Formats: sequence, structure tokens, C-alpha cells
Amino acid sequence: MSKPTVICRCEEITEKEIVAVIKQGYTSLDEIKRILRCGMGHCQGRSCLMLIARILSRMTGQPIEKIKFPTSRPPLKPVPIEVLAKYSSNPIRKTEQK
Amino acid sequence: MKKTADAIIIGAGIIGSATGYYLAKKKLRVLIIEKNFPCYGSTGRCIGGIRQQYSHPLSILVMKESVKIFSSLKEELGKDIEWYQGGYLFLAHSEDKMQTYLKAIEIQKQYGLLVRFISADDCAQIVNGLNTEDLLGGAYCPTDGQANPFATTYGFLEGIKKRKGTILTNTKVIKIFTEHYKVVSLLTDRGDEYFAPIIVNAAGPWAREVAKMVGLDVPIEPERHESLVTEACERLFDPMLVDYRQDGCYFIQNYGTGHFVGCYTPVPNVPGFDITASSEFITEMPRRMARLVPKLKGIKVIRQWAGSYEMTPDGNPIVDKTPVEGFYISAGMCGHGFMFGPALGKFLAELITTGTSPIPLDDFALNRQFAKAEAMK
Repeated sequence: MSKPTVICRCEEITEKEIVAVIKQGYTSLDEIKRILRCGMGHCQGRSCLMLIARILSRMTGQPIEKIKFPTSRPPLKPVPIEVLAKYSSNPIRKTEQK
Repeated sequence: MKKTADAIIIGAGIIGSATGYYLAKKKLRVLIIEKNFPCYGSTGRCIGGIRQQYSHPLSILVMKESVKIFSSLKEELGKDIEWYQGGYLFLAHSEDKMQTYLKAIEIQKQYGLLVRFISADDCAQIVNGLNTEDLLGGAYCPTDGQANPFATTYGFLEGIKKRKGTILTNTKVIKIFTEHYKVVSLLTDRGDEYFAPIIVNAAGPWAREVAKMVGLDVPIEPERHESLVTEACERLFDPMLVDYRQDGCYFIQNYGTGHFVGCYTPVPNVPGFDITASSEFITEMPRRMARLVPKLKGIKVIRQWAGSYEMTPDGNPIVDKTPVEGFYISAGMCGHGFMFGPALGKFLAELITTGTSPIPLDDFALNRQFAKAEAMK
């Protein structure tokens, strides 16, 4: 048997798993993401979503430009907790002082 | 040909999916109509915590049933829903909070819940790296837990499909037809009319809008709540940590993946349908997390998002029949929909098919006074 092709490297999701979910009738990137977690890892889908869109297009016949991509979420690249925390304006403390 | 179903459910979140599943198990032909895709609304935006620590007896009973269901859902659905009983730890940083928890524990114990108030040192034993400054102790229930909201919801939906049910996605209900205060059919934005003697409003944040289609006004208003998730890391601790200070937060480490996921309740709250993620949250939440567990400071945040808590005046859901025969409502979950969902789905299916729920749901009635507020929220 041939080696599995990994599509989502962060969550280690293979092409076979993606094809199986599409065959079950889940034909949007949003659903595939929620079922398999691809696009939810470290890279936030930068590596895999385009590849999945191509598989989806190939299997369903939807033109690739018509496939809706999931919402891009901040912070776009992983940022440590302590770095983000430095920018906190402590909104509650302000309301308490009023 | 006339399109029919035995029961139509509006909304494919956990509430619609679980209710549909238990109706399908009773041999009803179920049709679920979802305006986006399953889990688009509140369910897919929640952080997956499951707890029985409430102050309201009915919530405790519902959650004891839900925990029972979650514990066997893998076998029931033939799908791993990532259920893990890591407990919930509610931290008390003030005498006031401690008294609230102690009172709630008294009620919870009457209903057989395994829960106790533990010292700050014991909290630190359970939570590796916990900052115990100002900490008086915590309410700890080891049988609370976590599960994957997507896996659970899709699991129920697959179960419905296996039982000859249908899930329509990207389809919006725009009209419900009644005759002599009885539901007859509904119309979708695709121009299709579906006939059914039973219609369930499981529309989450949009439940008020759906109820208006039969002329009912239900007191449900969405509020924005935000969440974030970090990268996966080594296992640090099991329970959901709940810090109810005004600038507190709650977060849990996902057992299977190792990600930390958490949120806080904004003060003042943010009413409305807007679920745009804010820069205030993504800087403030990390501050609160690092204050509680300082060793998290180097872990990276990978994503933030927002969702809705659909609130009722007393913080408890509305699960009831309505003055319109055949029209049921299960909504207004106030942020607890995922954990309440399985049990409420089971109870509502009983109510619909037999006329009574195994546990009386009077305190979640549509015509209640909304006077007894939930203390553990």
C-alpha cells in the first residue's frame, strides 16, 4: 500500500481522511475544518486549506474560486501569552475606578 | 409531492441535533433545517466544558443526566466525542464567593453530587502552577468534564441520518404557517414548504426571531462572548479553572490535543448579534490567564473568535411546549447549551412524544416569572 499523504501537517490529517468526510456529504471547508480539525493548528490553515479546497473542487465539481474559506482569525501568527498581556488596557480596572 | 416530516427542528446546534437524535430513536422521521452549517451558531464557538455545579436544582438534575449521557456517548454514537472527566474547580478569592459556593454545594449534595470545598493548597495540588495569592479555596467536582462540541453535534446528526432523518444546511426558515393555533408547515428561503405536526425552535441566538414567526415573543437576547485557544503543550492540569472575580476568566486544557481554550464574561456585557473578535479580549484574556497560572506565559495564542450566549432574564433555559400546538422551544441556554444539550434533547423528545418529561421542566417553563437567578454563573 502507498504511504499516506498528509495534507494538514499541524493536525496530521491525511488526504484519505479528508476524502472520506467529503464522501459523507460535508462539502464546505468550514465543515471539514470542524470535523477533522485541519486548519485549527499552529499554521491556522495556511498550509492545508488551499490543498483541501483543491480536493473539494476535484470531488464536487465546484469551481475553486467559488469555495468559501473559513474566517481568518487573529493573531494570524502565534504570539506568546506574556507578549499579548503586555498590551492589555485592563478594561475592568478602569470601570472600577469610575 | 407534498414534503412531510414527523418533526421539523430549526437549528443544527447541539440542541437541535440531540433533540432530533432522541426523536429519531423513537422512530419519528426528523428533518433538521439549518441556515448555515451544523455548529455555526453558539455550539461550535463554545469551549466544551461540562459541569454539574449549579445552584438551581433543575440544572443540577439535568446536568447529572447529561454527564451520564456523555459518559456513554462514544458507544451510543459509535464515535469518539473526546469526553474526559477532568473536573471543574471554581476558585474563591473572596469570603463572599466562598459563601456562594458553600451554599451551592449544600444544594448540590442534596442531589447526590460528588462535590466539596477544598483549601487553596489542595487547589494547587490539583492545578499545577496555580497562583494561590488571595485564594481562599475552591469548589471542586471531579465528575465534571469536557468533550468536543463538533464531534458531539456531528455524532448526533449522523445518528439522525442513519435513522432516515434529513439535515438541510444553508437553508433558512422564513415563515411558519399555523391554523387555529396549531402548526401546519413552514417555508424556506429555497421556496420549499415542509409539513409537520411538530416544529421545534432550537435556533439559539435567533430563537426570538423564529418564535415571532408563530406570533410568540420569548425573552431571549444574545450577548457576545469571546474565546481563544493556545498551541498544544504538555499536560499541565485536568479541571476547568473558573475564576469568577470581576476580571476573572475560565479555561481548560483540552485533554486529547493539549491546547488551552478559554474565555471570560465581559463587564459590562456586550448585547447584540455582533460576534466580531476584539483586540481588548486578545490582550486582556492572556493577562488574566497568566495571572492565574504564571507558567502559561510562554505559551502561544493561535486563534481568537467570538460567539453568542443567548440570555434569558434569569440565566436558565426555556424548554417547553407553547400556546401554539405542536410548536416547542428549546433555547435561551445562557452559555450552557453544549453541556445541557444531550439531557434536554432526551427530555424534550419524551415531552413531545409522551406529553411529560421524565424530570419536570417547570423551572424552564416559557411562562415562568424568571425570578430565581442562577448563582453559579
